[in-house]
Amino acid sequence: MSEQQAPGGTAAEPRPTADAPADANLVPLAELAPAITAVSVSRRAFLGFGLAVAGGVAGAAALASFFPVFAEETQAASPIVPTYDPTGKQWAFVVDTSSCIGCGLCVAACKEENNIPEEPEYTRTWVERHTITTDGAMYVDSPDGGINGFPPESTAPGAAGKPVQDAYFMPRLCMQCTNSPCTAVCPVGATYKTEDGVILVDARRCIGCGYCVVACPYGARYLVPAGGRAPNDTPGVADKCTWCYHRITKGQQPACVEVCPVGARKFGDAADPNSEISKVIAEQQPQPYRPEYGTGPRVLYAGPVTQES
Amino acid sequence: MQATVHPLSVRILQYEVPLAPKPLARAVVAEIRSMPLALQAWLGFLLAVIAVATIAALVSIPPGWEVFGTSPSFEWGLMIVGYVVFAIMTSGLCLSSSLGTVFGIERFRPFEKRHCVLAILSLTMAFLIIALDLHYPIRMVFGAVLVPSPSSPMWWMGVFYGTYLVILLVEVWSMFTPHPKIHMYSCAAAATVAIFAPMTLGAVFGVLGAKAYFNGIWTPITMVASAFLAGTALLGIVFYAVHRFKLADWQHAASIALPSVRVLLLAGFAVVAALLVRQVAVGLGSDIRGLREATTALVAGPLAPMFWLRVMGGLFIPVMLLLLPVHRRTEAIAAASFLALAGVALDRFVFVMAGQIAPISAGAGTVSYPFASYAPSMVEITIMGGAAAIMALGYTLAERYLDMGESDTHMFLPFPWIKKHDETDEGRTHHLAEPSEPKPAAAVVVGATLGEAAARTAPAAVVTQGVES
Repeated sequence: MSEQQAPGGTAAEPRPTADAPADANLVPLAELAPAITAVSVSRRAFLGFGLAVAGGVAGAAALASFFPVFAEETQAASPIVPTYDPTGKQWAFVVDTSSCIGCGLCVAACKEENNIPEEPEYTRTWVERHTITTDGAMYVDSPDGGINGFPPESTAPGAAGKPVQDAYFMPRLCMQCTNSPCTAVCPVGATYKTEDGVILVDARRCIGCGYCVVACPYGARYLVPAGGRAPNDTPGVADKCTWCYHRITKGQQPACVEVCPVGARKFGDAADPNSEISKVIAEQQPQPYRPEYGTGPRVLYAGPVTQES
Repeated sequence: MQATVHPLSVRILQYEVPLAPKPLARAVVAEIRSMPLALQAWLGFLLAVIAVATIAALVSIPPGWEVFGTSPSFEWGLMIVGYVVFAIMTSGLCLSSSLGTVFGIERFRPFEKRHCVLAILSLTMAFLIIALDLHYPIRMVFGAVLVPSPSSPMWWMGVFYGTYLVILLVEVWSMFTPHPKIHMYSCAAAATVAIFAPMTLGAVFGVLGAKAYFNGIWTPITMVASAFLAGTALLGIVFYAVHRFKLADWQHAASIALPSVRVLLLAGFAVVAALLVRQVAVGLGSDIRGLREATTALVAGPLAPMFWLRVMGGLFIPVMLLLLPVHRRTEAIAAASFLALAGVALDRFVFVMAGQIAPISAGAGTVSYPFASYAPSMVEITIMGGAAAIMALGYTLAERYLDMGESDTHMFLPFPWIKKHDETDEGRTHHLAEPSEPKPAAAVVVGATLGEAAARTAPAAVVTQGVES
């Protein structure tokens, strides 16, 4: 003890001796040894922990390099045209159910344009026939998604043979909701909204959990099956209508709009008061379909479907 | 007797396991030969099921996901149900055993070691199932970490269940090594996460405004109640096996553990039944689009056979077994536990089905109006069987090779009215550190080799070889 300086002691202070310890509260170093050892172990553990964390982060970064898509700040996996300026755009889509003739050309055009699987259950857009019989019942059918048109009588179970009071066709597609549940529930941010409000799926990030498919109240999503045609040549991921984002960003119309022979589908920039879509909205006062879901659908419907309860 | 130490070996707990192929094979063969015939048959059966399930799992590995019976109008099927059942069972195990491990209630202490091992196995199976169900599971790991989506309940579910697995691993490690203080805190942490995890799992369904049957605050609550019932039921089955096959600490299985399970099961049944009645009553009287259709499908539609089977077989009969005088028989509690667990599994199946059965559109002609349809494929069913078999295999091995007897539990948040250890009645001889009662648990022999452990003639037999020269 006499050879060692007390903790906290300085050279100017008298060195304690065995006869006259400087301070009774001072603990001999030998007795401190276990505590010092414990401190050093803790420090070592702390350093080890720090190294482990740093190593983990470095390892994760190294592994992430195998998946560069997750390291990117932007989500520009969509076919965005570099020269396209989304600022101020208010894309709007109006469907006139009083004009649609159920020919199915829109469905075929969409499948061709976007390399959609041929099976009818996998589709970005489809046409429904709403049949109201004289007893007040409504039947909805969509054989093969309407791609081949419709037979004279409804194919819905229970509708056969019943006298028809009214019928109309209703084209369906992603509503590009302002309060979209699909973007909210995606656990990896693969479904996202562009600056101009169009909802896209990053096929490189999607894990194929199907949460967005279940979350969509309009049934507008599906998981791309394996073994056939696939948008972006990526099977297993969620897919939906993009309003043909690769076309509208180049100033073109969506494929379904362009091919419609009766103009039942209208698309344009509602921010431009002189555009055709602005005039259609002003004249026909189209309504969102099933607004009670609270998702703020941006596809608007005109015609008899707006009377549907 | 000197324990033989192979030159190339690894020590796992008290076992010296040779690593060289031939000694390892010899040790394994010797171990298998030492097993009772019934145990050999049981393990053989489990391995056969796992082998078949492995083939099914390989078939379903991406891009083989088309082998599932799901469709765009019915995207979540048996795989999701399986994930939910295994995940909530994990939480339930911790919830029911927390009465002993966290609150220090004496009669629930026998649950401690077994619940923990079961919970790890169950959660691992849940992760395995969801990995097979996801189309790109690797992306999920990186996506969830590098692109966090706090708006998604599924992301939070991953956070909680991922954390949960780590805590459970710490809990088991600290229990068997042992590190009492770490064990104490890990038990409390596991019990806490055991509440949050099934709630976020319930929120995954509960936030879905598109599915009226799923939607609402009652879904997370029901998920926690189902978790409690499932976990307790599994403990009932396991402790009956402990009693029946005289495994470690079997003396406490019939006298303490199973009566405790009975009490917890009755409480679980009461809550689950109340929630079920509420759901049906509200659903049938609702004018919310999709909710009445789904509830009608449940009680009088295509799901009715499964629903009423669940009500009768999974609620009514087990409650009767627990209430009538027959409950004094351990077989009655075991049967009630089995029916309760099967009932929860069936309940979660009809829950996932009912939520999606009300069609939201004519969906390209795929919807069989007025109800969507789904039938699980053989691949899905086989994978479920395989997951259950892996869990059973893992637990059987744990019973054989780990000391599953009661350990020192540490009262963390004791209720004031709970007696401390030294204040317990003398008749309650299951004091956890009771030295006078020899544990018939698997070996506590440092240096014993796997081959030497094989010298045991029964799973619960004590290895007698020592380390003395």
